[in-house]
Amino acid sequence: MENTVVKIDGLVKRYKDLTALDHLSLEIKEGEVFGLLGPNGSGKTTTINCLLSLLSFDKGEIEIFGKKMSPTAYDIKRDIGIIMQNVAVFEELTVYDNIDYFCGLYITDKEKRKQYVEEAIAFVGLEDFKKFYPKKLSGGLLRRLNIACGVAHKPKLIILDEPTVAVDPQSRNKILEGIEQLNQGGATVIYTSHYMEEVEQICTRIAIMDKGKKVAEGTKEELKKMIKNTETIKIEVRELTEEIRKKVSELPHVYLAEYKDSQLTVACSGGKHNLIRVLGVLQENELHIGRVYSELPTLNDVFLEITGKALRDKED
Amino acid sequence: MFLHNLKYELLAALRVKAFIFWLLIFPMALGLFFKTAFIGIYEKNDMFSTVPCAVVLAEDNEALRTVVKSIESDEKPLFKASFVTDEEAKELLRKEEIEGIIYSEGGRLKLTVAGEGMNETLLKAFCDQYNANADVLTSTAVSDPAKLGEISEILMQEITTVKDNKLVNGNTDYYVEYFYNLIAMVALFGAQIGMTITINNQANLSALGARKNCSPTPKSVSVAASLVSRFAVQTLTMIVCVTFQHFVLGIDFGEHLLLVYLAAILAGILGVSLGFAVGSVGKGSRSTKEGITTAAIMFCCFLSGLMAANMKSILKEHVPFVNKINPAAVISDCFHCLNIYDNYDRFIEKLIVMAAMTFVFAFIGFILTRRRKYASL
Repeated sequence: MENTVVKIDGLVKRYKDLTALDHLSLEIKEGEVFGLLGPNGSGKTTTINCLLSLLSFDKGEIEIFGKKMSPTAYDIKRDIGIIMQNVAVFEELTVYDNIDYFCGLYITDKEKRKQYVEEAIAFVGLEDFKKFYPKKLSGGLLRRLNIACGVAHKPKLIILDEPTVAVDPQSRNKILEGIEQLNQGGATVIYTSHYMEEVEQICTRIAIMDKGKKVAEGTKEELKKMIKNTETIKIEVRELTEEIRKKVSELPHVYLAEYKDSQLTVACSGGKHNLIRVLGVLQENELHIGRVYSELPTLNDVFLEITGKALRDKED
Repeated sequence: MFLHNLKYELLAALRVKAFIFWLLIFPMALGLFFKTAFIGIYEKNDMFSTVPCAVVLAEDNEALRTVVKSIESDEKPLFKASFVTDEEAKELLRKEEIEGIIYSEGGRLKLTVAGEGMNETLLKAFCDQYNANADVLTSTAVSDPAKLGEISEILMQEITTVKDNKLVNGNTDYYVEYFYNLIAMVALFGAQIGMTITINNQANLSALGARKNCSPTPKSVSVAASLVSRFAVQTLTMIVCVTFQHFVLGIDFGEHLLLVYLAAILAGILGVSLGFAVGSVGKGSRSTKEGITTAAIMFCCFLSGLMAANMKSILKEHVPFVNKINPAAVISDCFHCLNIYDNYDRFIEKLIVMAAMTFVFAFIGFILTRRRKYASL
């Protein structure tokens, strides 16, 4: 049986009248890439800060590696790597010195540390930037430096708090690949994000959070099974009458049919050949059909169905 | 662990461009400005020490010759007198080679000068003194001729001892106070680097602090390394500051230069501790804390007389305790004591006060940064 690396039980954190975490319980097993997914303000970062004993909380228990976490639990901290949402490096130190500094907070053996630092630099692909100061690095490279500083000491548990915010696609892919590599190397990963695509891509298990509560938890397949929607069909079509829309909505497995801005959206729950049946109705009525899409449910659909709102704002 | 922290804290602190400006370039520029502003005054003071003048004798005056010779024989004579004719004297005065002409007629002196100033005043004082003494001798000769020799000897001694006597080995120049205050200001600017100790080590103030707090390095070690590194950087700054003022600007700090260095270094350490304590109070942003610290430093310097030299005297008269708790005043007083008093008691007392303030501020800083968990980040 897999060991439990992190156990959070009934965690409550209040800021005056605001309940930031409302009886949150989580259990993360060794070797998992555990995703904490939720919109901004859902309590992901607060959870991480409580987990790291940076933030006091009102109620609950936190155990890491089977031991109670506290600010002076240095033996636990030694095996944790943290990559903050904000880049946390010295502006006045070079890339190499920054990584060496943070690695040195965990590793005292100089030879071992030197090797670890070189490995971390290679891991994030900053070999050509060792002597650079952070100011001279692009946003993506800076994020990579931030990651190198957090993982150079080869921790058993790596916590990444929205590490890809404001990062270009190339660096984002590099970061996600790196996280998968770290996991394959044996590290347990906790990954918080409001980008559902990232969480879907790398996480083996996901907890969806909203307003400080865990609203769902499971693998992505398990989460998608929790909702009614199994397929969403979108068809560009002109002059669709209410009568035809009603016919579509009465098709088997269809539980929603909406027509807006020349686009018919059909949500299906289970069944096969739903698209063929919908197209059949439109052709029978000799309608001119434009582009056709068929989408499988996403974590956003899961979130939407559970909370009644989208996971992230359009501008995100 | 401590040495590892110290190494990188030192490297980082030495590379902060803002500190290089405020701690090195700005004080140097201000020192240059002061020096330029006061250079005229210094030159005048230099001339005050030896005043060139001419003496025109209507008839031979042996007593006057003796007095002048006695004054000129001094190591640093107040006069350099030339015994010339009236025409020659007027020509010298016209060419501004002398400050005045002393005429001796009937045993009394008269003075002719071309301008007004300290040198002319000095010449007049000499003439007045001579005439007063001549009157005493004349009346003694009439009333008690037997005592004439004794009186004459006393008066001669009085005149020859009119010279620039230093009470101590320091520099009592009024304007050097500005440079003491400048050193005090540089020392207190150390508060800016002291403040970064808190910012870089508190999880609720910076991401860097949060990351450090997540590491297995005890916070006390991390904070102590930061503090020592800032002390070291500030010590270096103070050495550069005093060296620049003394050896480049030529500011005379008296004959206790090593003690000036000692006081400056301790003052710098006090400044760092002050910043550490100020930075530890409250949760404000970095820029807010920087603003508060800068305002506090400038206010302390204002009260100690950096912007108005007599401010400290005004406070001493009306609210004396302010000078005792104002770090800038304590620092500049320390230098002042070194140059005014002929023993080290007051100087040592001020050093002890600075050390005590340093301890108190550092203690406050440690107490306020020791918190391990935060209610909010």
